Amino acid sequence: MAYLYVNEYTFSEEEDMNPFVSIIVPVYNEEKVIRDSINSLLNLNYSNYEIIIVNDGSTDNTKSICESLVGIRKGKFSDVRITLINKENAGKATALNTGIALSKAEFVLCMDGDSQLLPDTLKAAVRHFSDERIGAVAGNVKVLNRKRFLTDLQALEYIEGLNMARSAQSFLRLVNIIPGPIGVFRRRALEEAGFYSKDTFAEDADVTLKLLSKGWKIYYEPLAVSFTQAPATLQQLLKQRYRWTRGILQSVRKHKRFLFNPALNFGYTFVLWTMFYEALVWPVMNIAANAFFITAALAFGFSNLLFFWWAGLALLDMITALYCIAVEKEEFRLIWYAVLYRMVFILIIDICKTMSTIEEFLGIRMTWGKLERQTNSVITPVSGS
Amino acid sequence: MELIPILSTIILVATISTFLLAIGAYILYKIRERKYQRSVESGTSKYQAEVLMPAETPVSYVTPVPQKAYAEQTISRTQEEERKTTPQPAPAAFTPLPKEYTPSSVKSEKIAKKKLTDEHKFMKYTSEGYITPQEDRSSGAVKWK
Repeated sequence: MAYLYVNEYTFSEEEDMNPFVSIIVPVYNEEKVIRDSINSLLNLNYSNYEIIIVNDGSTDNTKSICESLVGIRKGKFSDVRITLINKENAGKATALNTGIALSKAEFVLCMDGDSQLLPDTLKAAVRHFSDERIGAVAGNVKVLNRKRFLTDLQALEYIEGLNMARSAQSFLRLVNIIPGPIGVFRRRALEEAGFYSKDTFAEDADVTLKLLSKGWKIYYEPLAVSFTQAPATLQQLLKQRYRWTRGILQSVRKHKRFLFNPALNFGYTFVLWTMFYEALVWPVMNIAANAFFITAALAFGFSNLLFFWWAGLALLDMITALYCIAVEKEEFRLIWYAVLYRMVFILIIDICKTMSTIEEFLGIRMTWGKLERQTNSVITPVSGS
Repeated sequence: MELIPILSTIILVATISTFLLAIGAYILYKIRERKYQRSVESGTSKYQAEVLMPAETPVSYVTPVPQKAYAEQTISRTQEEERKTTPQPAPAAFTPLPKEYTPSSVKSEKIAKKKLTDEHKFMKYTSEGYITPQEDRSSGAVKWK
């Protein structure tokens, strides 16, 4: 389906749309990266937008940096109004809702405070709203802080594991998660869905499911690129995946009445089952398969089996990585990480997912957690007026 | 020695190590997370909610008024008249104000369409002004064919 989507995308006609868009940037302790994020927004190839920064009770220097950014600044094609909302810490969902409430635009772009958009992002995403059935457009998330073993593996995962899956889902206009670093919404769709909820730890997955349950279509736009900071240490990575897994399970559980009732909305039920499979069944299967081959090697001496298992998976991953990297015009050096991708990286992630799932079912208390940031910029700064 | 058994052994060791690493890292993460949670609960910041917006019309420049190249006659005018004729600076460039969003459920009132047809289209113009075709027919004037 991803292949069909790429074909369809390549030959589809482009339409020009230029509606007013509000960009909502929720920030919490982003002093190292917020300037780069805003600079990337001032560099957009779009002329009709504003920026609303929502400071969600930061405890570092973020507030004063944001205050210095407020004003009317020179964008690439027009002056851009930058507004700041300071509020007490209440979570990302509340921060996004506050920004959306202040905005008067018909379309809102929600992103993360550490993300940087490429110049064509907004233009590429907004054109899909000419179709009245489209409620939101999911963007293409890429890893910003590369050149490290762990972040390079994540860069490959984003291309091969997340974006390719999103392309396949987009062929049916049923993308299951609009990523936090880049999502453009039709305001009417968000109103119908009831905006972001703060009762799950994956507010992006939850709002996507709510949109799909209301019958809205969601499209994936590969040219709407958002570079985001990936966790650079194993601890940070586990923290992120722990939150993702439990958040997705919470979201699926919220909408469980659709799981067993495909007559209500078949496409939506299909999406819920794929999410459930990805979060629960697939990690357990992967761990079980590895445990089986280890046992076969240690107890019965069939160590060759493990080699052929690994070689088969590595070959499949390399072919997939080659295709995905070629489609996205990404760095070819990432292909070599496919050798270790399945047997090392995915195994670690799957063990974390399984543990998180057990904790979720046991109802153990969890917190959001904050990832550490590094300064890193892909965009040339634009001088503000 | 054959290559496959050596590679198999390497993969076996790597897989077992990954298992142990993942479980160890997860336990360590949970311990650190508990400590982090205690420190966060004791140090939350509180400040008043506020919205900082830029001024609506930032006048960044003033449109230059052309200099008078000739001696102008002094004409006495009232102050009010003078105010009317003083050239106003062009509005400074700034982001246009966003359009008020109205949900689709609230239908905007239809604006009365302006008549495109000329009211005098079927009227006859005479020395007494415009007359309607009925008036023209009832006048009994001789018509040339």
